[in-house]
Formats: sequence, C-alpha cells, structure tokens
Amino acid sequence: MLQRRLVAVVLVLLSVGLLTLYFREADNGFVHRVQDGAMRVVAPLQEGSARAIQPLRDGWNWVADLFSAKSENERLKEEVEALRAAVADELTTQAENDELRALLEMRRARIYPDDVEFVMARVIARSTTAWYSTVTIDVGSNDGVRPFDAVVNGQGLVGRVESVKATASQVQLLTDQQSYVDAMVVPNQAEGLAAGSVTGSLSLQYVDKSEEVAKGQFVVTSGRQGSIFVRGIPIGQVEGVGAQEVELYQSITLRPAVDFRKLDLVMVVRR
Amino acid sequence: MMRSHEVEQPAIVKLPPAGELARLGVLLLAALLLQTLVAPNIRILGASPDFALIIVVAVAMLRGCQVGAAFGFLTGVLVGVALLEPLGMSALVFVVVGYFAGRYAETADVSAPVAPLVGVFAATCVACVMLAMMQYLLERQVPIGFWAARVLVPSLVLNTLLSAVFYLLARRVLRGRGVLRADETA
Repeated sequence: MLQRRLVAVVLVLLSVGLLTLYFREADNGFVHRVQDGAMRVVAPLQEGSARAIQPLRDGWNWVADLFSAKSENERLKEEVEALRAAVADELTTQAENDELRALLEMRRARIYPDDVEFVMARVIARSTTAWYSTVTIDVGSNDGVRPFDAVVNGQGLVGRVESVKATASQVQLLTDQQSYVDAMVVPNQAEGLAAGSVTGSLSLQYVDKSEEVAKGQFVVTSGRQGSIFVRGIPIGQVEGVGAQEVELYQSITLRPAVDFRKLDLVMVVRR
Repeated sequence: MMRSHEVEQPAIVKLPPAGELARLGVLLLAALLLQTLVAPNIRILGASPDFALIIVVAVAMLRGCQVGAAFGFLTGVLVGVALLEPLGMSALVFVVVGYFAGRYAETADVSAPVAPLVGVFAATCVACVMLAMMQYLLERQVPIGFWAARVLVPSLVLNTLLSAVFYLLARRVLRGRGVLRADETA
C-alpha cells in the first residue's frame, strides 16, 4: 500500500515539476522544443483528421443552426436556408471556395498596407478545453510565421499567433479571455479595447461615456502606433450599449464578425 | 551473479510482463490518437469528449491504482506534448484520477455494470475541479456559472455516455477480469 502511494506521490511531483519547468523556461527551452518536435509528427495527422471530420462537423453545425433558427429572427432563418442549400451542394467544397473568395476580396479591398504578406493556413485542431479559445494552424516558422502576427479570414480578425513551432502555430482567438485588441467604432472613431471572455463573448471596453456609440455600428482595429494589427480589420458589430451611473466607461457588447465555430481557412498577416 | 546466501531485494516498482505492457501500449496509443486527432474536431454541448480521461479510468479500474497512476501520467504527458498544452497539467490530473479510480476498483465491488459509469462520472468531476483550480492559479477567469454550465455538465454527460463503450474495449484489450479487491486478496 505504501509503495502504491509512493508511486502516486512521485508521479504527482513529476507532473508539478513539468508544469513549473513549462512556465519558467523560455520559448526555446527543452520542454517547448519537445513539443516542437512532436508537432512535426502530429500536425500532418491533425490536418488529415480535420479534413476527414470536416463534413461531419459541417453537418452537425447545420443541424444546430436548424434548431436555433426556429426561435430566432428572419436573418437566421435565411442563414439556415443558405446552409441547407449548401449542404445539398457539396458543402465542404463550396464553403472552401467561398472562404477563399472572401479572403481574396479582403486583399483587394486594400485594408492592408502593400508591404504586408499573407500566408494561407488551415485550422487543424481546436482547443479541447473551454478554458482556452485557441486553434492550431498548419503553418509555422518554416513559412515565416512569427508570434504576434495577426490572423484573419474573409470575415475579419480571427486572432493573433501565440506560439510558433516549425510546421504549426497556435492562434489565440479574439474571444479568448486573455485577448485584448485596440479597436475603434466607425464612423465616429470612439476608441477602446475589444476584449474576449471565458464565455466566448466579445466586448468593447474603456470607451468613454462622452462617446456616442449606437447598436449596429461596426468596430474595427484601430492600428494605433505600437499595435500588432493594421488599421481597419473588421472585429464585429455593436450589439448592445449600456452605462451605469457609477461607471467611468460604457458597457458595450459586440457580435464578432467572424463565425468562430466554422473556422477553416485563414490568413496569417506577416509584417 | 547472485550467491546462494544473498537475499534478493524486492524491486521498488515491479513492471508488468511484456505482453501486458504491449496491451497497455495499445490503449495508450488509442487514447493519444483519439484525444489529439478526434476530440479537437468534436464539440457537443460546448465541450469535447475527454477520451484520454475515460481510457485512463478504464485502465485504472481494470489494473489497479499503481498502473492507473502510471498510465495516467504517461497519457497526460503525451497529450500535453501533442496538443501544445501547458505540459504537466493533464499529467497531474490523470495521475490523481488514475490512482483514485484504481483504489475505487480495489476497495469496492465493481462487478456491477454501472461501476465504470460511476468511475468516469466521479473522475470527470475531479478533473473539472482540478483544471478549474489550475486556471484560477494561472490568474485566468473562472466564473462558477460558466464552469458548471459549459464545462462540468457537458463533460459529465459526454464522458459518462462514452464510458461504457471504452471500458468494454479496454477490458477486451487487457483480457482480464480486473483487479482483486483487498478483501479478496487477503
């Protein structure tokens, strides 16, 4: 009995030691390099499984949308109709084409300066816990991706690169609870911070009470000096505005421009 | 070479035979593949099924707390490496879960068909609490309502529903009747 407890205690101590080492060491430390090596093997496998499971996930999303549409407004009903049509017409291929077209439109729209480069990537894994809103993409330092690079898709800002391995990278989504992005409301240019939360909702914080912000207005990256994002990338739309007497700032909730449930193709913006 | 008057010292940790190790390896590989390739692509009720946890509990209930803890540690480390998670987090949770699931099988009557479900249900509760506490220690937000509604309940439902299938699978792979209870070994 004592021996069993001893084994368990040793293993617990080993685990705590690994955790300590992970958080204490630099990004090029031993444990991180082990993960880097493992990702070279795992990333292609994850890419394959993500492709294989994509039609099933699309189908599941379609069913979920169908149920929720019954209790929602006309906009969602139209969306369900569009999804129904898409399912009938080779959903996966169609969605990929649409995404690629949207990404091209975004480049043509000249939101980005001429000197930035784009790296096309595919989402190959999602965080399995609700505590982190992250995804893994199939490009890494071999493709020139660096930490803090912005990640976008045809709808808007997806997030930023958090950690980079040789052949894959982890992306912190805009909705992650530790994500903060310099943002502004257009057209009146009220500035604030778009912040994620553990529940996956998005809010615009630190907007002064004197600023007039209305429901339906668009929110984009402000691209302030020192910001990692260029100006004008769509973040979302104002969904609700409120302010308590005692609060210094307005309480603004946003509807993200990006549908994070259906992330597949994205672009990394290389500065 | 050992002389006749020398007494052989018992090993601190006795390894299972090669065949048993191979069978445990198969289950470890299955847990790793399911958790890294399938789970990230499945989200039902806002949560992903924790295949690794279910298999760790199944192995622990069939082979006892020592094997359960060791199997949990290895599974946790490999899952952490492959999913770019903070290394050691899953290992710590799975060691605790593996140990206590093994103790449950050693001290209680687990012949009832509902036993694996109870084991996975309890293990999921422990894992969710431990992970939430670690998030809190890492200074991340841990709202109780969110934790209960979006983490605990969906994980309990998914993991418990899947537990019977994986317990039967693990029992088939390990080809054993399970661990002997303390009162049976006496």
